[in-house]
Amino acid sequence: MMNIKAFTLVSAVERELLMGDKERINIECVECCGRDLYVGTNDCFVYHFLLEERPVPAGPATFTATKQLHRHLGFKKPVNELRAASALNRLLVLCDNSISLVNMLNLEPVPSGARIKGAATFALNENPVSGDPFCVEVCIISVKRRTIQMFLVYEDRVQIVKEVSTSEQPLAVAVDGHFLCLALTTQYIIHNYSTGVSQDLFPYCSEERPPIVKRIGRQEFLLAGPGGLGMFATVAGISQRAPVHWSENVIGAAVSFPYVIALDDEFITVHSMLDQQQKQALPFKEGHILQDFEGRVIVATSKGVYILVPLPLEKQIQDLLASRRVEEALVLAKGARRNIPKDKFQVMYRRILQQAGFIQFAQLQFLEAKELFRSGQLDVRELISLYPFLLPTSSSFTRSHPPLHEYADLNQLTQGDQEKMAKCKRFLMSYLNEVRSTEVANGYKEDIDTALLKLYAEADHDSLLDLLVTENFCLLTDSAAWLEKHKKYVPLRFFSFLFLFFFLIPFQLWVNIVNGDVQDSTRSDLYEYIVDFLTYCLDEELVWAYADWVLQKSEEVGVQVFTKRPLDEQQKNSFNPDDIINCLKKYPKALVKYLEHLVIDKRLQKEEYHTHLAVLYLEEVLQQRASTSGKGAEASETQAKLRRLLQKSDLYRVHFLLERLRGAGLPMESAILHGKLGEHEKALHILVHELRDFAAAEDYCLWCSEGRDPPHRQHLFHTLLAIYLRAGPAAHELAVAAVDLLNHHATEFDAAQVLQMLPDTWSVQLLCPFLMGAMRDSVHAKRTMQVALGLARSENLIYTYDKMKLKGSSIRLSDKKLCQICQNPFCEPVFVRYPNGGLVHTHCAASRHTNPSSSSPGTRT
Amino acid sequence: MRKPDSKIVLLGDMNVGKTSLLQRYMERRFPDTVSTVGGAFYLKQWRSYNISIWDTAGREQFHGLGSMYCRGAAAIILTYDVNHPQSLVELEDRFLGLTDTASKDCLFAIVGNKVDLTEEGALAGQEKEKCSPDTDAGDCVSPRVPKQVQLEDAVALYKKILKYKMLDEQDVPAAEQMCFETSAKTGYNVDLLFETLFDLVVPMILQQRAERPSHTVDISSQKPPKRTRSGCCA
Repeated sequence: MMNIKAFTLVSAVERELLMGDKERINIECVECCGRDLYVGTNDCFVYHFLLEERPVPAGPATFTATKQLHRHLGFKKPVNELRAASALNRLLVLCDNSISLVNMLNLEPVPSGARIKGAATFALNENPVSGDPFCVEVCIISVKRRTIQMFLVYEDRVQIVKEVSTSEQPLAVAVDGHFLCLALTTQYIIHNYSTGVSQDLFPYCSEERPPIVKRIGRQEFLLAGPGGLGMFATVAGISQRAPVHWSENVIGAAVSFPYVIALDDEFITVHSMLDQQQKQALPFKEGHILQDFEGRVIVATSKGVYILVPLPLEKQIQDLLASRRVEEALVLAKGARRNIPKDKFQVMYRRILQQAGFIQFAQLQFLEAKELFRSGQLDVRELISLYPFLLPTSSSFTRSHPPLHEYADLNQLTQGDQEKMAKCKRFLMSYLNEVRSTEVANGYKEDIDTALLKLYAEADHDSLLDLLVTENFCLLTDSAAWLEKHKKYVPLRFFSFLFLFFFLIPFQLWVNIVNGDVQDSTRSDLYEYIVDFLTYCLDEELVWAYADWVLQKSEEVGVQVFTKRPLDEQQKNSFNPDDIINCLKKYPKALVKYLEHLVIDKRLQKEEYHTHLAVLYLEEVLQQRASTSGKGAEASETQAKLRRLLQKSDLYRVHFLLERLRGAGLPMESAILHGKLGEHEKALHILVHELRDFAAAEDYCLWCSEGRDPPHRQHLFHTLLAIYLRAGPAAHELAVAAVDLLNHHATEFDAAQVLQMLPDTWSVQLLCPFLMGAMRDSVHAKRTMQVALGLARSENLIYTYDKMKLKGSSIRLSDKKLCQICQNPFCEPVFVRYPNGGLVHTHCAASRHTNPSSSSPGTRT
Repeated sequence: MRKPDSKIVLLGDMNVGKTSLLQRYMERRFPDTVSTVGGAFYLKQWRSYNISIWDTAGREQFHGLGSMYCRGAAAIILTYDVNHPQSLVELEDRFLGLTDTASKDCLFAIVGNKVDLTEEGALAGQEKEKCSPDTDAGDCVSPRVPKQVQLEDAVALYKKILKYKMLDEQDVPAAEQMCFETSAKTGYNVDLLFETLFDLVVPMILQQRAERPSHTVDISSQKPPKRTRSGCCA
């Protein structure tokens, strides 16, 4: 069993002070009350010493006793027992079966001569029931057989209050409140002298060993049990603590929390009440007295008095921790709770938990360590600081002093063992990950997250991204440097935007990677990420700062920085389209994209943009034409876009564009523009005669009339037809086009008008589809009209019927009939009658056009 | 120190395995134990209750302490060794008397430990471990013998105890429920034993609390004063 040093034995009263060289004089009893130390001897002397404690910096205190006085009590018997009653300034002295009262200072007997006679031994009640501060309760074992007596002792008188007879002869007694704990001849009992109820505790054999009965605290006693047991018993007769196993021949016992101290012939043994284990054994021969006085434990031989000085609990705990006895240290610390002020205890206990945690940690007992760190509310940085370079350089952390452990860093702790090191790192990862979202992290979230990022990056851990996608407090300068060191570049957009400011430096780093200035093979799509990031970035300055760079890399992709911004932001007007256009001037492709975004996606109704876009398209078309040397038979994509824009938009400046188009050889576009100006004849002329594209002409009629009324459309078709026919029969091609037009769009024409225009030579056969269509249309129109007519007639009939009905019956107007609006009688035979039957004055009806049913007379009471 | 809400005491002759049973349950292991000196106890948290379980010394020397340990106990586990009939006899002769100090409604459990040393127990254990029968005997020091004490004997003792305590069989858990055969070595039935008892003890704690005036003032469940009709003007 490992020992700890809980007590040190120091001498208090040297033999010379008491008896000099007189061999036969022995110490019989001791009493200590504050600084007053009393010693009773076998030659009937009482000695009074003043005990002075001198603290020694590193080590137990020393004591010196100065003799004040000694007095002979006038008997030839030894002084058996001494007890101080400091409240009364009296010393109770048992000598020759009689308890006398003497003054504590001068040791003079009280003048009244008050004494308790016939006492074999006595005990003071330290939990008195009387409540009178100027008396002490004394319990004696009487010299009368099987008798216990209770006394009240005052300054100069004594008073018996109770006599109790017991079943056997009592040998030892202790008192607590109304409870007597008695060692009888064969057993220990608890006796309540107020109720008279006795309870057996357990048997023992007084012939083998004298009994021990010690009150150790409120309602609890320590008894010497069979087989060398120190037994605990409460006044309820039960045991709430497991017994301690001391030696078979213990002659004295005391409690100095949390230890039970026992004295036998050769040793003073110290057992913990917390785990029942023996903690210390001090060799001490010929001891015969062991007593505790208000926490001070005194032992005595027949020749000298010694004090057992406890080491401070904290020191004991530290010793245990130093020898890695974590469990014992914690038990001791927990046990000390009630002996130390609460706030002080908590600070101490927390520290011990933390220290214990580091001990477990160093032994790689991570589960235990974690629990200790958690319950000890460890500042996580203490742990992080063990790992080299994990704390941010900006961290203001310094380790607590005195240190919680002896390790400089992990290298020292693991002694370079890489496997252990890896285990420790894994532990820290999981631990930090666990605590980062708890209150433990409050105040040092940056330190924790940065350390975690570093660990993840170093271990190439999958959680690196998880850490970054969620809200985090990684310090960027530090993290970036670390990531660079470990060649880990991560998608920027995952960083929380809130911390953008801190990103400026690493941002440049990423730009460098894209530019190839820094090697990184892990992310080929970094450029896209940067664009993505800037797109969602709120920091205007940053966007502007890197816009050029982004656009230089790729105009099409780079422009997304502007085109793909979330909508709500633009409403904040932080990015002015004009500024952007200005910026994009150097990047035509990007500019086109952006304008398309404005005009087509966002449908901005602003002439400038539309014109600008149209001009850009046009320029590109022209450029393309130039490069393909005029052979622009098929419309390029850009041309299609231009046409679509010209057709769909009504906002661009038509004349301006028309001017640009002149001579450019873009008849289709010109036609569209003419159409926009309402010059349909001109437009169609171009299409028919210049382009000879009849399908386009037809198409023109359709899109130009889109959303307009039928006559407009008819007009367009007629115009086209007229153009076709005007050429005369000679232009065979146009004639065919005219026929096709008529046959395909029969319903778009006024047949009667067309027939007059057509040359007489055309056969019915040729125009058959048109004629049939026209006929069908005409018949359909006629029938539709007939149906409408019929419906109108029947409607008219219904109204006529209603009118007849209303006029059919007469209305009687009397004085009793009141106008429903003004509630006055009718004075003239003229009135207005509403369809619901209500009658009102003509002027009332005129002044109020509402139907009276809405303000129904029924609402009036 | 947490104050226990209830107490369970292990009694029985020396060397029947009281400490081992308790350690198997509390620490999930079966270490070599030395003869218990005096007594020891564990505090077990069961749901929201603290139950202290006292391990007593079986040695004759400490016999006198048993009575004090049993004082106020809510349940007593009387333990014997299924291979030693005398240990069952001792329960009645020596230990039953100690239980007089227990609470009036104290529960009794009778536990035959060390079934792993019997033929049946060995077979049961082997089935559990899926061993082939011919690897027998080699791994075990003690020879397996037929069980010396049958469960019926324990049931008979249980009924005797009820008579001794003058309890009606209707009012207490049935003998079949309260007689166990266990092995602290293999853990067989150990959890069942303790947890059966805990579940039976908890209602007793509640009942005790209900009977005793509460030490804390409950301000949440204050009942409105009952309105009583005054006598004079009914």
